Amino acid sequence: MTKKNSGHKSAAVSRRKLLQAGAATLGATLGATAFPMPVIAQAKPFAGVTLRGASFQHRFFTLLQNYIPEFEAQTGMKVDLQLSAFPVYNQQANLELSSGGSAFDFVNVTFILAARWVAAGLLANLDEFTGDPNLTPAEWKPKDFVEGAQVPYRDTKGATYGYSWEGGAMVMGLSRMDLMEKKGLKIPKTFAELQEVCAAINGTDGVTGLVSFQLHHWCLPPYIQGFGGNIFRNPPTDIMPALNSPEAIQAIEFYANLLKNYAPKGVLTYTEDQARQALLTGRSNIFIHSSAWITPILMSGDSKVKDTARVVRMPAGPVRDFPAANSQGLGIPKNAKNKKAAWEFIKWALSPEISMRLVKEHGHSSVCRRSVIESEEYRKLNTVNGQDLGALYLEVLGLPAKGENYMAYRTVKEFPIVGDVLNKAFEQVATRQLPAQAAMNAAQEQAIANMRRAGTAL
Amino acid sequence: MSGKGLVDAERRRFNAFALAPSLIVLFMIAGLPAIYLVVTSLTPFQLVNPGSSTDFSSPLRNYRLLPDDPRFVNSLWVQAKLSFCGVLFQVLLGMLLALLLHTQSRVVEFARTFFLIPMVLPPIVVAIIWKLIYTPDISPLYYAAGLLNIAMPSLTSSVDFALTAIIIADTWEWLPFTFLMVLAALQTIPDEFSEAALVDGANRLQIFFYITLPFITPILVISGMFRLIDSVKAFPLVFLLTGGGPGSVTEVTNYYAYLLAFDFNEIGYSSSVTVVMLLLVVSVSLGVVWMGRRREAMA
Repeated sequence: MTKKNSGHKSAAVSRRKLLQAGAATLGATLGATAFPMPVIAQAKPFAGVTLRGASFQHRFFTLLQNYIPEFEAQTGMKVDLQLSAFPVYNQQANLELSSGGSAFDFVNVTFILAARWVAAGLLANLDEFTGDPNLTPAEWKPKDFVEGAQVPYRDTKGATYGYSWEGGAMVMGLSRMDLMEKKGLKIPKTFAELQEVCAAINGTDGVTGLVSFQLHHWCLPPYIQGFGGNIFRNPPTDIMPALNSPEAIQAIEFYANLLKNYAPKGVLTYTEDQARQALLTGRSNIFIHSSAWITPILMSGDSKVKDTARVVRMPAGPVRDFPAANSQGLGIPKNAKNKKAAWEFIKWALSPEISMRLVKEHGHSSVCRRSVIESEEYRKLNTVNGQDLGALYLEVLGLPAKGENYMAYRTVKEFPIVGDVLNKAFEQVATRQLPAQAAMNAAQEQAIANMRRAGTAL
Repeated sequence: MSGKGLVDAERRRFNAFALAPSLIVLFMIAGLPAIYLVVTSLTPFQLVNPGSSTDFSSPLRNYRLLPDDPRFVNSLWVQAKLSFCGVLFQVLLGMLLALLLHTQSRVVEFARTFFLIPMVLPPIVVAIIWKLIYTPDISPLYYAAGLLNIAMPSLTSSVDFALTAIIIADTWEWLPFTFLMVLAALQTIPDEFSEAALVDGANRLQIFFYITLPFITPILVISGMFRLIDSVKAFPLVFLLTGGGPGSVTEVTNYYAYLLAFDFNEIGYSSSVTVVMLLLVVSVSLGVVWMGRRREAMA
C-alpha cells in the first residue's frame, strides 16, 4: 500500500514537473523568438541555487514575476522573491542588513535609505561584478543607466552599490487644457504663473485649481529649492537643517496658500490615489508629482481627460528650477550567501531586453535604461497628443546629475526625521495653527533636537 | 500537620502543577517580549547602528529625554483627550441604546444584532469606512450636507474637528461593547423592583435614577475602564484618517512610537515611549482591579 502510494505520488510529481518544464520551455522559446534574451549562465553554474530576494510591493515586481520562470528555466535557479508593504519592507531590510544577516541574496535599495546603507557598508560593491568580463558581458552596459537615477547608489568614491529599476521624475499634469484655452491661459512656467492659472481655473466647471497629497516632504522641497532654499544647509556634507531660512519660509507660505485657496477640501489628508483620481476625472486641473502617477491622465483607460490633458515640466522657481527626481535600485547585501547568483538575477532583471519587454508588453515606462527610453519603440508608445513623454521623463530624471545634485537632501540618513518635522510644520501653516515663520523656527529647533537625540553630531 | 492542611497543600501543589504550562506559555508570549521591550528601552538602539542594541552605557538616557520631547508630551495629552471623550461617549450612548432596546420584540432583537456589526469589523475596515465618510468629494455625508446647503469643513484636515472626527469613528466602532455590557446588566434587574416602584407612584425617571442606575453602575464603571485601557489602540483610525495631523493635533502616543520605530529607526527611544505607555495602562488596570475588590469588600 505504502509502495503504491509512494509510486503514485512520484508519478504525479513527475507529470507536474514535466508539464512545468514544458510550459517553461515553451514560454522561453516564444519569449526568445519575440525578444532576444540576455546572455546569461549558458553552462548553468548556479543550477539548484535558491535565490532569496526582497522588496516592497511595486508594479515592477508584479510584472517581473511573469518572466521569472524564464530566468529559472535558463539558469536552473529558483527565485524566492518576498514582497511586503513599503514600511514593513524597509524595517525588515534595515534589521536584516544592519544585523549582518544573510537571509537575502538581493534586496531593493530603497531610495530614502540608500545613503544610509551605502555609508554603513551594508551592501556589496557591484563594481566588482561589472568590472569582471566573465561576470558581466560588455553588452550589459552599466553606463546605460540614467545617471541621475544612479547617483543615490554610489559612495563618495564613486563605487556603485545598486542599479536602478525605477525612476520617478516630477512632472506637472494638466487635466483641463480646454478650460485653460477658453480663458486664454497658457501652461505655467514659473511659480507666479502657476498661482495665476490656479486662481483663474479654481471653481470653473466644478474644477479645483490643483490637487496634491499628504506626502509634503516630497511635494514641498522643489518649492523650497525653487525659492533658493534647501532642507539641509549643504547636503550630504553639511546636514545642519535649514528649515527656517527666509527662502524656506517663503516657499511654505506659497505652497500653503496654493493648497488653502485652490485645492479640494481635505487635501491635507489626501492619499496619492485620491489625488490621482481627482486628476484622472478632471475634478482638479493640476497635479505635480512623479511621472508614473501623472502620465496615466494621457494613457490610462480610466482617464476621462485624455483629450484635454497635457504633461509638462513643473514650473520653475524665481531662483532655481529643481523638479524632484528619485529612483529605486537593486543591490546585494554584503553578507549574502549567493552573491554571484544574485548578480545574475540583477543583470537579467535590469537588462535592456527585460526593460523593453516591460515597456512593450505592459506599458511600464518608468525604466532607467537610457537606450530603452531613447529607442524608437519607447518613443512611439510614449508619445501622446504629440508629447514625447520619454524625453520629458529622461530630462527630469537626469537633472540631479547635471551640476548640483540637488536631490542629495533626500538620500542622507537624517532626512526621514527632518522630513517628518517639515510635514508637521507645513500642516500647521496650512491649517493656520501657526504663521510660517513661527512654524519653521519651531521646526528648525525640533529637527536639530531630534537629530541630536538620534545620535547625529551637529 | 492536620489532615485538612495536607489536603490543602496537595490541592495547592496540584493547582500550581496544572497552571504551570499555561503560565509558561503566557510568560513566553507576553512576558519575554515585554522584558525585551524594557531592556531595549535602556539602549540607544538604532537599526543602522550595529552594536547599539547592547550599549547600556547610559541606560536612563531615553527616559531623561522624554519630558523634554514636546511631541511625546503632546501625544500623551492627545491620547488623554481621545480616551476620555471617547469612553464618555461610548458609555453614555451605550447605556442609552441599551435602555432603549431593553425590551422583548423581534424588531429590537434584529436591531441588537445590527448594532454589533461595527465591533466585529476589522479595525482597518472601520478606518476605511470613515475615511470614505470624511472625504468631502466622495462622501455621502457631504453630499447630503450639500443638498441641504450646509457648508461643512473637511473634518479630518481641520484643527478644530480632526480629533472629534476620530472620537466619532472610535465611538461608532466600540459603542456595541458598552451597549452589550449594559444590556446584560439590565437583564439581571428583577422586574419586581420597578413594578413595586410603579405601584408606589414613581415615574420612569425616578425608577431609572433610584433602581436601574445603582444596578448598572458597576458595569458602567467596568466597561468604561476596559474601554479606557483599550482606547490606546485607536492606531488604525489615526493612521488612516489623519496620519497624526494636521500638525500634531491627532498624534496619539502609540502613533508617535510607531513613527519613531518605523520611520526614524529609533528603536530604543520608541521602546521607552512604549514602556511609559505600558505603565500608564497597567496603572489603569490596577485601578480597575482595586475598584472591583473595594466594591466586593463593601458588598
